[in-house]
Amino acid sequence: MALTPGSEVNVAEDRPSPADEVQRLYNEAETQMARSMEDFVSRDSFGSLLVRMTENVMGVTQIATGAIDLVVRNLRIAGRPDVTRLARQIARTEDKLELVLQEVERLGQQLEALEPPAQPTGTNGGTTSARRRKTSA
Amino acid sequence: MAPTLAQIARAPVAAVDFANILLTTQDAKIGTSPKDVVWTHRTTTLYRYRSNLRTKPVPVLLVFALINRPAIFDLRPGNSFVEYLLDEGYDVFLVDWGAPGDEDHDVGLDSYVCDALPWAMRETLRASGQEELSLVGWCIGGVLAAMHASIDPASPARNLVLLTTPVDTSGSLYAKWVGRPDFDAGYVADTLGVIPGAGVDVMNKMMKPVANFWTTYRTLWGQVLEGTARREAYQAMAKWVADNPPFAGRAYREWIEAMYQRNQLVAGTMRLRGERVDLRNIEQNLLVVTAGADHIAPRQGTLPLLDLVSSADVEHLDRPGGHIGLMAGSRARTDIWPEIAGWLAERSDS
Repeated sequence: MALTPGSEVNVAEDRPSPADEVQRLYNEAETQMARSMEDFVSRDSFGSLLVRMTENVMGVTQIATGAIDLVVRNLRIAGRPDVTRLARQIARTEDKLELVLQEVERLGQQLEALEPPAQPTGTNGGTTSARRRKTSA
Repeated sequence: MAPTLAQIARAPVAAVDFANILLTTQDAKIGTSPKDVVWTHRTTTLYRYRSNLRTKPVPVLLVFALINRPAIFDLRPGNSFVEYLLDEGYDVFLVDWGAPGDEDHDVGLDSYVCDALPWAMRETLRASGQEELSLVGWCIGGVLAAMHASIDPASPARNLVLLTTPVDTSGSLYAKWVGRPDFDAGYVADTLGVIPGAGVDVMNKMMKPVANFWTTYRTLWGQVLEGTARREAYQAMAKWVADNPPFAGRAYREWIEAMYQRNQLVAGTMRLRGERVDLRNIEQNLLVVTAGADHIAPRQGTLPLLDLVSSADVEHLDRPGGHIGLMAGSRARTDIWPEIAGWLAERSDS
């Protein structure tokens, strides 16, 4: 196909610049890396590695916290377990309070149900009531 | 697009801006819609959002997950589901599970499903003066709401909305990691007492490591360089993502064992305080929302719920988006919130 005058310039403008090409290659590499990593973390071997690493961290944590608690206890200072024990007691007290409040509410509702309906006040009402009672008798 | 010469010249200033956005993320204001504390118990707080526009009698109670803050419902002005519901005339409540401490290591799933959630519902009805409410649960919040509806035949929930809620976890990436028989969740729970939020955050991010640990920052850098960075939007989401409360030890162990190791919820074999959690007992009007690109609670893990419930009124919305992006992304206001609000409106008359 013959090129029209000036079209060679347009073709040059349409061609990506080296910088654009580098950007495109980088984007492709990043996308591929992301897919590869997602594939890697979904493998059974990674899951197994995760379990072992978690156990190791838990083991180190237990040893470290045990040692620290022992030092603090021997210094006769209140440590984290002591504070936690107190906080747990406060939480349990709050639980009991909530249950007490619920019970009080239930009793209140039962009392409301037992109370007789309020008698109407005023002469008209009284006359009407008397008239009703007379009729009944 | 490759950086221009002007952008390259701007790079030193952009570097300062980029660092500033990252370093001041913790100062971002999220969850700012005015609200009042209605009730508290232990770490749980029930909020009621202030409004002069309450026209719909049936209040809405929002329930989020245990491993993230519920501020995602009210991320920032202009991108807040709470704000949207208030403008639509709803009486909006939100239960915040708070941050469990070491003293809460013995808090289990039953503490949330059998105690805190029903009590929060009771206080919602007391504050609103109504007898029924709409329960909107998202992620683990949806699971807790579904469990509650399954075991409480006298539940005051008239409507149940479950957003990106995992029900059948088989085949999920989490199941491959913690559903393994050699993963001892009890050992982790007993050692740590409460699982640090940062640990849960790292594990969530490991599901898409390049995207979460690199691409997010690389994209922000590019936007700062081009001058198109949306600081408020980035910081609000980044702050929320990084703010993970601890996971109470017993609840963590029960969650892993019941949901991922034994997949008991969909099987109907889970028990809470002796009561069988049977999804077939759900009779509320039900709206199930799934996200097509959800890798945390894949849609195929939610769909079995539709065949299990006994509700006569069931609707399923499947929309593009991720686990969080579906409800908190830039298109949520136009793509999904109106549908949820409209569904609720048809079922919120007194």
